Amino acid sequence: MWPRVTELMLAVWLAASPFLLRAPDSSGSEAIQAYVCALIVVIASCLAYWPPTRHSRALTAAVGLWLASRAYVISPHPAPAMMQNEFLVGLLLLMFAVVPNEAESPPRSWRRFVETAPNRTR
Amino acid sequence: MSVKQHALDLDAVSPPFPYNVSAWRQRIPICVLASVGCLTAVYMGLFQWGLINSVWDPVFGQQSEKVLRSETSLAMERWMLVPDAILGAFAYLGDAIYGLSGSTRRWQLRPWMTILFGLDVIPLGVVSAVLVFMQGAVVGYWCFLCIFTAFISLALIYFAYDEVWACVRFLYAIWREGDRKLFWQIFWGFGSGRAAELASETIAQSQLLDTGGEGGAHVAARN
Repeated sequence: MWPRVTELMLAVWLAASPFLLRAPDSSGSEAIQAYVCALIVVIASCLAYWPPTRHSRALTAAVGLWLASRAYVISPHPAPAMMQNEFLVGLLLLMFAVVPNEAESPPRSWRRFVETAPNRTR
Repeated sequence: MSVKQHALDLDAVSPPFPYNVSAWRQRIPICVLASVGCLTAVYMGLFQWGLINSVWDPVFGQQSEKVLRSETSLAMERWMLVPDAILGAFAYLGDAIYGLSGSTRRWQLRPWMTILFGLDVIPLGVVSAVLVFMQGAVVGYWCFLCIFTAFISLALIYFAYDEVWACVRFLYAIWREGDRKLFWQIFWGFGSGRAAELASETIAQSQLLDTGGEGGAHVAARN
């Protein structure tokens, strides 16, 4: 589940970034957008632990895509720190959201055909 | 055929190579090397962001800073929103993350992940290495750490190609079976009885060719 944990940490960073990067206004629309996206990612990565919603990383991927593409489209070039941060956090969320929950084991549908313990490392 | 007969060994060899291309001892060195590339690129990115004032360069001295602050580099930053070194760091991080994802038989059980890893390492690695070696011609200066990361890219391609090649070869064998639905199921990592049969058959057949037919049945049973 390490990709979900990493996404959770990225969400914490995203929520803290309006303060750390001195966004023009930490209660402005740009900051609120960051808080909402961070909250969605936190919820999505926690939901991944519950079997019925184990595919919740799709939601994380959607948030990542939104953050990166929105920042790319609306940002002035050269971009201010807040925009660069949203762009990068979006790309990172997208990158981690591709990785399945139990990334080191074979996919579920393959497990009954595999003879060794799924988490065996060598 | 029963499930037991096709129980797949997670440490099976991956033809045409006489070892398991997805074993951890194959993949961990790639991830370590990619992490070194990522950290080096982040260091150069910190300079481009203006967070540090100088860049270490034992060979070309001040030339590194001229490369990293060149017109080409600034134009790329305007176009890509973040400094080019940071995007490079992102690509190396991708190599490491996708190198870590998947079981020790992912070249058959999760081909999409292996192919994604291959796309990140091979085409992106070639492009970044070519860009770095062109900098001398375009910018007129050289940057030691840029060349260092380009060599990391090339080394990553060398270490990663075997897994990608085994995976592509396996996918091609499935494609030639003619069942497109089964092909896409296997590609996206959906296992089934028929998929398990094919997964062990492709290994057994390849070994049968290698050993001239001897011990083929034994190999099929083991894989």
